[in-house]
Amino acid sequence: MPGLGRAALVLALGLVLYAVLAGGYASLSGRRRLGDSARNALVAAFVACLAAGGVLLAAFLTDDLSFAYVAEHSSRDLPARYAFTALWSGQEGSLLFWVTILTGMGSVAVLLNRRLVAEVLPWTVPILAAVAGYFVIVLVFVSSPFETQAAPIDGAGLNPSLQNPYMMIHPPMLYLGYVGLTIPFAFAMAALASKRTDERWIFATRRWTLASWMFLGFGILLGSKWAYEEVGWGGWYAWDPVENAALMPWLVATAFLHSVMVQEKKNMLRVWNVVLVALAFGLSIFGTFLTRSGVINSIHSFSQSPIGAWFLGFLCVIAVFSIAMIMWRLPILRSRTKMESLVSREAAFLYNNLFLVAFALTVLWGVAYPMVSEAVRGVASTVGAPYYNFFGVVFGLPLVVLMGIGPLVAWRRASLRQLGASVAWPAGVAVVTGGVLLAAGAGSSLLGMVGYTFAAFVIAAVVLEFVRGTRARKSLGEATWVGAFTSLVGRNRRRYGGYIVHASIALLLVGAVGIGVYGTTSIRKLEPGQTMEVGGYTLRYLGSTQDRVANRTELRARLAVSRGDKPLGTLAAGKNRYLEGSREVSNEVGIRTDWLRAQDLFVIADRFNADGSVWLKVLVNPLVNLIWISGLIFLLGALVTMWPDAREQRRLAKRFALARA
Amino acid sequence: MVALSVAAVLAVFLLYTSFAGGATESLRPSQIVAGDYAGKGVQLAGIVIGPVTGDARGSGLRFRLKDFDGKQTVPVVYKGSVPDLFRGGRHVFLQGALENGTFVGKPDSLVTKCPSKYAPKKTSSS
Repeated sequence: MPGLGRAALVLALGLVLYAVLAGGYASLSGRRRLGDSARNALVAAFVACLAAGGVLLAAFLTDDLSFAYVAEHSSRDLPARYAFTALWSGQEGSLLFWVTILTGMGSVAVLLNRRLVAEVLPWTVPILAAVAGYFVIVLVFVSSPFETQAAPIDGAGLNPSLQNPYMMIHPPMLYLGYVGLTIPFAFAMAALASKRTDERWIFATRRWTLASWMFLGFGILLGSKWAYEEVGWGGWYAWDPVENAALMPWLVATAFLHSVMVQEKKNMLRVWNVVLVALAFGLSIFGTFLTRSGVINSIHSFSQSPIGAWFLGFLCVIAVFSIAMIMWRLPILRSRTKMESLVSREAAFLYNNLFLVAFALTVLWGVAYPMVSEAVRGVASTVGAPYYNFFGVVFGLPLVVLMGIGPLVAWRRASLRQLGASVAWPAGVAVVTGGVLLAAGAGSSLLGMVGYTFAAFVIAAVVLEFVRGTRARKSLGEATWVGAFTSLVGRNRRRYGGYIVHASIALLLVGAVGIGVYGTTSIRKLEPGQTMEVGGYTLRYLGSTQDRVANRTELRARLAVSRGDKPLGTLAAGKNRYLEGSREVSNEVGIRTDWLRAQDLFVIADRFNADGSVWLKVLVNPLVNLIWISGLIFLLGALVTMWPDAREQRRLAKRFALARA
Repeated sequence: MVALSVAAVLAVFLLYTSFAGGATESLRPSQIVAGDYAGKGVQLAGIVIGPVTGDARGSGLRFRLKDFDGKQTVPVVYKGSVPDLFRGGRHVFLQGALENGTFVGKPDSLVTKCPSKYAPKKTSSS
């Protein structure tokens, strides 16, 4: 069996190498049939990768511990539903997963755009194949998932903190996002190589970019939800390098999604867009590398990690290649249109881009700082949450303001007076919200007040746009309000889908501010029968229990919760001790969501003492559930923006028919 | 325009480093013992060496930290919450300062490196 997997990978290697060479030669010489053959080789490589993945999955399902990778990441008693999780829980498996998605997505993208790729952008195929080739080489020669060994009695088991439903979908979501960013990169570079620097590469890849961006964004929030429930320190985002790894390409992709609109409408920012797409792709590779190699804290692990040097080399190749391509085509890439006014929609997009990219780069600097400082001074230095929080506020707040103003500014040139008139309503709503909040006692935190009022501003601006648009459609002859609303959104999916995403980000801000500055924490040691009070809740410690469940011992502190005179039931918090493998201990927090008060009671059983007492850390997290809800709204908005639209297809066909004539 | 914005971002950066004092140095036991770090707030990273004694909620948890790839150790005393994964042999880091030869941890700053999410265990197999 491992031989079959290895053979599939070698076959995949041969196929992608053929796709690179034949595709490159076909592009140079204009041989279409050879180009088609290179494309088919890419599709065949996908099938080969799929076969290799199938072999590995079968090994997990049958507990074939002669696979070293299976023995390291699974055990006989691991439920079958975690076979997939185990498959990508390690380095080799996740790289295999990566290249399978890449060849799959790449195949679909070139097949869907068959004519465009064959006639206009033939370089797409060899570029995609080259990226895939890198991963296949690593899989074949450096980090193979098909190493064999004498089968041990049992495997090391899957890390218990990964045995969680969110962890089944969070990594593949992120990977779809990371990998998906290869598609716009390959088309953009192909456009440069083929001297076709018009907007066709953007239209061909718009939905791929949107989908990758959606997967990344939603994946980050799924990871947060997992961390909130499973890691259980009481927060949701910790600026951990692995989290930042996904945040950076997401920020740059967000900038890209905005700036392509300027290129489509005004034919500006053409160089900038190619730079952004290359940066987003580079950061997605860097992100994969961070999560999968362990070089974050010390430069020394470069020499320890077998794939460290490979990744670093690949990153350098990407950087050099992208810069060379852009410099080479700079003369034909430069836009001939200039920005007319600093108060206009395109200017708002530009500011948004600068803040987003600046934020992404400061995060990158923070992530790379330990490595850089160690290389330069010999002593690694780290930057912590204060660094990220500072820049999150400095770059985030202007972004929030722009999110409210941007949609209200006219293209080309807007007068400040017009602008003032159109933001008057949302600004008024924000001021009133601020007043109400002050009266309600939220004034204890300036940052909290700023965050809430800014979020109110954005949401008011979004609602205003929906109301105006619906009213306009109603007056155009739609019979009902509902009909007017649906036809408004249906005819302008990108625009109104985008507004839904804006609203979701504003909600996320409200949730993040709520838990960030208005939460309460209390740490107490309780004997059985004793009580403690936190944020209006009373917790009585009833005692602890210890149960043997499947492969673990569950230790729980049981608490009776009440508010005023009203009993609210019991809550359990504790730890699981896993009996096999590496004998991990996992933290099992108790969470009680109070929808009416929009807050979570969050209990961590920090320490069980021998005398029966327990150390409890209890938090009241206000509005944290808005963060999860905002994730669903984000998903909805993103889906609306990329929903297929026949009208748009006809418009595009017309546009390029004219351009060619 | 671009140059202006780059300048603006750099200015913000300088502002930050000047008022917040920038980054914390992250040291290994051999570095903190050899260097002049007494009383200075740093991050210490290493492998936990038992015996682990004391009470993190009482007078303090006591253990030693060793270099990842060396023999030098330094005694540590720490109060606050202890991660579940904490035990002898684990990679951990914590904030604090060296006082009279003992590293005194800042409360609640102890973090273990997640064993599977980052580096695979067999990193030295190459």
